[in-house]
Amino acid sequence: MKKQQNKGRQNKDKVLLFSIITVFCLLGAFVFTMSRKISAEMSSSAIQNLSESLELMKGTIEAILRKEAEFQKLMAQEIAVLPDPVEFVRSYQKSQSIVKVSLIMEGETQGVSNEGDVFSQEELDFSSGKTVDGLPISESYVNYMGTWAYTIQCPVVKDNRQIASLYVEYVYDSFEKSLPDGFYNGTARLYIMDAKSERLVLKPKGMGERDAGHLNLEDFYRANKILEEKLIEEVSACVENGDNILFYHDIRGKRALNYMWSVNDGSIFLIGFVPVEAIQQEGTSVNQNMFTVVFVMLAAFFLCCLLYYFNQREQKKIQKEQEEEREVHNKQLAEALQAAQIASNSKTMFLSNMSHDIRTPMNAVLGFTTLLASDAENPAKVREYTKKIMASGQHLLSLINDILDVSKIESGKVVLNFEVITLNDLVSSVDSIIRPMANAKEQKFHVRVTGIHHEYLMGDETRLNQIIINLLSNAVKYTQERGNIWFRIIGLKQRSGQYEHIRIEVEDDGYGMTPEYLETIFDAFTRAENSTTNKVQGTGLGMAITKSIVELMGGTIQVFSEVGKGSLFRVELEFRIPEGHMNEKFWEDSGISRILVLDSDVESGKNIQSLMKNSNVLVETSPGLTEDMEWMAGDEEKSFGYQLILFGWNSEDGQNLQKVKKLRETVPDTVPILFLAAYDEEGVQSALEMEGTGILTKPFFESALREKLLEMQAWQQEEKESEREDSLKGFHFLAAEDNEINAEILAEILKLEGATCEIVENGQLAVERFTQAKEGEFDAILMDVQMPVLNGYDATRAIRALDSKEARQIPIIAMTANAFAEDEKEALQAGMNLHLSKPIDITLLKKVIQEVL
Amino acid sequence: MKKRMMKRFAVVSLTIITVFTMASCGREESGANLITTEEEKKEVVNLFGPMEKSDPDAENVARNATDRTIIMAEEKLDITVEYKTYTAENYQEKTYDDVTLERARNQMDDLYLLNPDTIQILGEEGELLDLSGLDNAKNLREVAKTANTVDGKLVAIPQEVVAYGLFLNKDLFDQYDLPLPETPEDFLECCRVFQENGIETPVGANRWWLENFVFAQAYADLYNGGNTETEIAALNAGERKYSDYMRPGFEFLEELIEKGYVDAKAAYTYEAIDGERADFLAQKTPIVMAYWGAANTDTAYGDPDFELQVIGFPSKRGPMPVVSMTGYGIGTEAEHLEDAKNLLNEMLSDEALQIYTETNKVISPSQNVEVDCIPALKPLNDKIKENVYVLGSNAGMKMEQWGNTCLLVRELLNGATVDECMAKLDKLQEESLKK
Repeated sequence: MKKQQNKGRQNKDKVLLFSIITVFCLLGAFVFTMSRKISAEMSSSAIQNLSESLELMKGTIEAILRKEAEFQKLMAQEIAVLPDPVEFVRSYQKSQSIVKVSLIMEGETQGVSNEGDVFSQEELDFSSGKTVDGLPISESYVNYMGTWAYTIQCPVVKDNRQIASLYVEYVYDSFEKSLPDGFYNGTARLYIMDAKSERLVLKPKGMGERDAGHLNLEDFYRANKILEEKLIEEVSACVENGDNILFYHDIRGKRALNYMWSVNDGSIFLIGFVPVEAIQQEGTSVNQNMFTVVFVMLAAFFLCCLLYYFNQREQKKIQKEQEEEREVHNKQLAEALQAAQIASNSKTMFLSNMSHDIRTPMNAVLGFTTLLASDAENPAKVREYTKKIMASGQHLLSLINDILDVSKIESGKVVLNFEVITLNDLVSSVDSIIRPMANAKEQKFHVRVTGIHHEYLMGDETRLNQIIINLLSNAVKYTQERGNIWFRIIGLKQRSGQYEHIRIEVEDDGYGMTPEYLETIFDAFTRAENSTTNKVQGTGLGMAITKSIVELMGGTIQVFSEVGKGSLFRVELEFRIPEGHMNEKFWEDSGISRILVLDSDVESGKNIQSLMKNSNVLVETSPGLTEDMEWMAGDEEKSFGYQLILFGWNSEDGQNLQKVKKLRETVPDTVPILFLAAYDEEGVQSALEMEGTGILTKPFFESALREKLLEMQAWQQEEKESEREDSLKGFHFLAAEDNEINAEILAEILKLEGATCEIVENGQLAVERFTQAKEGEFDAILMDVQMPVLNGYDATRAIRALDSKEARQIPIIAMTANAFAEDEKEALQAGMNLHLSKPIDITLLKKVIQEVL
Repeated sequence: MKKRMMKRFAVVSLTIITVFTMASCGREESGANLITTEEEKKEVVNLFGPMEKSDPDAENVARNATDRTIIMAEEKLDITVEYKTYTAENYQEKTYDDVTLERARNQMDDLYLLNPDTIQILGEEGELLDLSGLDNAKNLREVAKTANTVDGKLVAIPQEVVAYGLFLNKDLFDQYDLPLPETPEDFLECCRVFQENGIETPVGANRWWLENFVFAQAYADLYNGGNTETEIAALNAGERKYSDYMRPGFEFLEELIEKGYVDAKAAYTYEAIDGERADFLAQKTPIVMAYWGAANTDTAYGDPDFELQVIGFPSKRGPMPVVSMTGYGIGTEAEHLEDAKNLLNEMLSDEALQIYTETNKVISPSQNVEVDCIPALKPLNDKIKENVYVLGSNAGMKMEQWGNTCLLVRELLNGATVDECMAKLDKLQEESLKK
C-alpha cells in the first residue's frame, strides 16, 4: 500500500517536473523567437537607418555639387558680360572649395587660370559623361595642391553664343565638413570613391583614415578580404550603372554590412562598411536587457521555488517532529495509563491484600481476646493466647509502619537523619535479627565484611538497617529451608578520601524471580506472588521502600535473579567518613600494641589487618595453630610479645577446643584469647568456660574488639549491676496520657514491674503536677506527645524552663504513636531524654529508664 | 548552518534585484534639452604620409612602428593626429614626392613624412620649420643632423637612419665559391660567374634603388677621406662637378645593363621590392638592394629560405652602406604649428624611439638608443659603427642628390648614355647654383 502510494507520488512528481520543463521550454522558445524577431526588426530598422544616413549624405554632397554648378553658371553669366573675362579669371582668389578657375576662349585649345599658368582641357578627363546640373564633371585627379579634386566645365554664353568655357576646380576635402563626425561611433568606415578611376578620393577624419585599404577599390577589397569574384562582379556592375549596393561580408572576422552608395548619378560613390554589431547595437541591447529581465525573473522564480522548497521541507520537518512528539506523547500517555492501571490494579490488589493482611492478625487478636475472656482462669492458656495476641499485634504494627513509610517516602517527607554509624553495631544488629529467622528455617546465614577501611561512617543507621533487614528478610522469606543466605559488606575503591564507598550484597540460593517480575520488583504494591495464596507474608512494599531509601541516600540498587537458582541484590552507597571519631589512645591506654591472629581463613586475617591499620597496633596473622604453638613453646612468657590473641573458630575443624585449651595453657593468663566465631558456633560455649577467653562475633570490627575488651574488663561489675537493671521496682513516674486505655495499660505494666505512676490527662496538668511535686517525688516523666490543652513537646519545654535543678535534670521519656525519626528529633529538641514509640515495650522501657537514670 | 546560509543567500539575491530595479527606475532626465553630448574639443595635428598597400585583415602594418610612437604622443599630449595619405597607384601617376611637394607648398598639412630629395627641395624653398630648437633634437647622431640640415637649419628629423645595402644570397655565393664582393670589379666578376652558371640576371633591381651603386662609388672618398666639408663647399660653389664624382658609378651601371646583369626594362617599371622580391626569395636572383629594415620585415626579405647577408655597395674603399633618411618636417605656416612641434618632439623622444627601433629593428637616429641587429645585418652594422658610409642624400649639398640621381638612373635604364646623363647632371648643378 505504502509502496503504491510512493509510486503514485513519484509519478506525480515526474508529471510536475515534466510540466515545469515544458513551461520553461515554451518560455525559452518564446523568448528566443521574440529575441530573433526583435533582432530582425532592429536589423531591418538599422539597415533602413543606414540607408537613410547614406541617402542624407548623398543628398548633402549632391546639393553641394548642384550649388557649385549653379554658382559656376552665375559666374559664367557674369564673365559673359565682362569686358575682359581673362583678367577676371586671373585675378580670381581661390577659396576653400574653389581652388582653381580657368577659362578657355572659344576656338582656342589653351586658356588662362587664376594660378597664372597656361590651362589646357587635355589635362582633364571628361570622358565619363557625368554631369552636375547639366554641366560636365571631370574624373577625379590629384591637383597642384596634392589633393584630390574635380573640375566642372561650364559654357560662357553671350548673346546665345558660347564665347568660352569656364573650368572651376573643386577639392573633395571641402565635403568633409558636411559629413558626420564619426560614423556609428567610429566603428563604421566611410570613403568617397571616384567611380571611373575607382580611387578613394576622400578619407574623412575618424572614418578609418588610419586603416589599410583605402588606396582604391581593389585595395579596399584586398584589405578587407573581399575576394569572391561573383560579388566583385556584382559590385562592379552596380558601380558602372551607378546603382546602390548593400551586402553582408565579414570584415576582419566580424560580420559587417558593406555599402556602395551612388552619388551624383554614379560619378562618385560613398563606400565603406558598418559592423553588424554596431548596426544591431540597439537590438542587441534590447535583447540583452530582455535576457537580463528573463534571467532575473527566472532567478527570482527559482529563488521563490527554493524558498518554497525549504519552507515546505521545514514545515514537513516540523510536522514530522510534531507527529513524533505526539507519538511519543501518546506512547507516554498510554504507558502512563497502563502504569496507572497497573498502579490502580496493584493498589486494588494491595488494598485487598492489606485488607486480608490486616484482618488476619486482627482476627487473631480479637479471636484470642475472646478465647482469653473465656479461658481467663487457665494461666497456661492465658499466657499462650497473650503470646499469640502479642505476635499478631507485632505483625499488625509492622504492617502499619510499612504503609506509613511508603506514604511518607512517596510524599517526600522522609528526611535522613545523619549520625555516626558503627558498622559493627549495624552488622551485629542485623545478624541478631536475621540469624534467628534463618535458623528457624534451618538456613545458613553467612556474614562477610571485606575491604572496609573505616568502620565509623556518617549516615542514617535506621534507614540503612531498614534496607539491609528488608533485603535479608526477603532472602530468608524467599529461600527454601536449609538454603543459604549470604550477607556481604565490601569496601570498594574510594572515589574521594572523604567518602567510604561500600557495596552491600545480599544473596540467596532461593526460589529466584522471573525476568518479568524483576522489571517490577521495585514498584510499590507488587509482590512476587499473591500473598493470599502464598504462605509467605509481606506487605509488598518492602522493595519499593528499599529502593526509595537507597536513592534518597544517593546510591544504587541492582538485582540479579534466576528462577530456581536464587537472587542477588547489590546496593552501592557512599558514606562520609566522620572526623576524629576514634579514641586513638584506646589501644595505648589498654597496653595493647601487638595482636596475634590465628585463623586458617587467610582473608579474614588480612581483613583484620586492614581494619586495624589506623590503630597503631601491629597485627600478625598465622594460619596454622600447630606451627604457632611450636613457635611459642620455644619461649617463655617474657619473650611473648602479644597482648591479645584472636583465634579464628573454624566450624569445620573438630579440634578447635583442644587447640584453644593448649593455647590457653601456653599463653600467659594475662593475655586474653578471643574466639572469632558466630554465636551459635559449636563448642564455643565450652571454650568460653576457660579463664581469659571471650567470643568476638564474626565479622571482625575494631570497635567490636574494643567493646569486647572493655566488656571483659568490667565483666564482674556488669554482672552485678545487671540484676538491678532489669527491675523498675520502687520507681515512681509521672505519666501524661490523655487516652484512658493507654493510661491504664501503662499503669498496669509499671505495676507488674513494681513501679508506680501518677497519670495526668494532658501536658498542662503534667507541668502543674510536677511544679507541685516535692523534690525527688518522681523518678521520671513519661510524656505522651499528642495531648489536648498542652502537647508533650510544649509541656517538656515548660518543665525544662522551670527554675529548679530537678526540672532541668529529671528524665522525660516521650511515649508516642509518632514513631518516625523526625518525631524523635523533635522530642529531643524539646528537651526530652528519650523517645519510645507506642505500644510500650516494657523491656525497652526498662532498658531506657535504666540508661537515663 | 545550511539553513542560515540559504537565508543569507536569499537576502543578498533579493537585495541585488531590488538595487538593480531601483537603479533602472531612478534615472531621471535632466532639463528639457535632450541633447546631452557635449561637443568634444580636441587639438588636432594633420600628418601627411604615404599609405602602403597592405595585407588583408590588417591595420596599417607598414606604419606600425610610427603609429605606436604617435599613439604614445597622442595620449601624452591629448591631441589627435589626423592622417592624410597618398600613394601612387602606378608609375604614371604623380609620385608621393610630387604630391608631398605640392601639399607642403600649399601648406595643406602640419607634419609631413619627407623623402630625402623633398627635404632638400622644401628646405631650400623655406617651406620647412627649423627644428633644431626641439628638446629631443639634441639627442640626434651627427649623421642624422648632417643629412637634414639646409642652410644651417635642421629642417627634418628621421625616426630611423635608413641604411641601404646589397642583400645577398650567401648560399648561392658559396655554391659558386664566390667571395662577397667588396669592389666594383669583384661585383662584376661575381655577376659574370653567376651568369655563366645560368643565372641570366644576377641583380634584381627596381626603379628606385640602383642609384646606391652610384653613390657608393661617387662619395666613398668624399665622406671617408677626411675632407668632406671642403669638398661639399667646392661642389656647392661650382668649383667641382658632381658629374666627375658620379661618372664611374654610371659607367658601372651601364656595364651592368650592357652585360645583362641588370634587366633595365624590368627595373624601369618595378616598384621597390614589389618587382624583384619574388625572384630573390625563389633564389633565382642572388643579389638585390634594399634598406636595412627590409631584412626584418616578413613582407620584404625577412625569414628567407637561404642564408641572407647584407653588405655595403662596392667601392674603391670596400663595401659602403648608403645612408639615406626619410624625415619628419613641419610646414612653416602649419595651421597647428605648436601642437605639431610638440607632437614631433614626443615622437623623437628616447622613449618613443626605443619603441620604434625595437619594433622595426633599425638604427636609431638618437645616440641614446641602440638595439641589437640580426646576424644578416651585422656586416652593414659594423661599417656604420665604424662611421664608414656614404650619404645618399645630403641637404647640405645645394643640388638635391637622392631624387635627381634616381631620375638620371631611370634615364640610363631607359636607354640614355652616360654622357647624356652627366650632361643633365651638370645642368642640374648649374641650376642649383643659380638658386
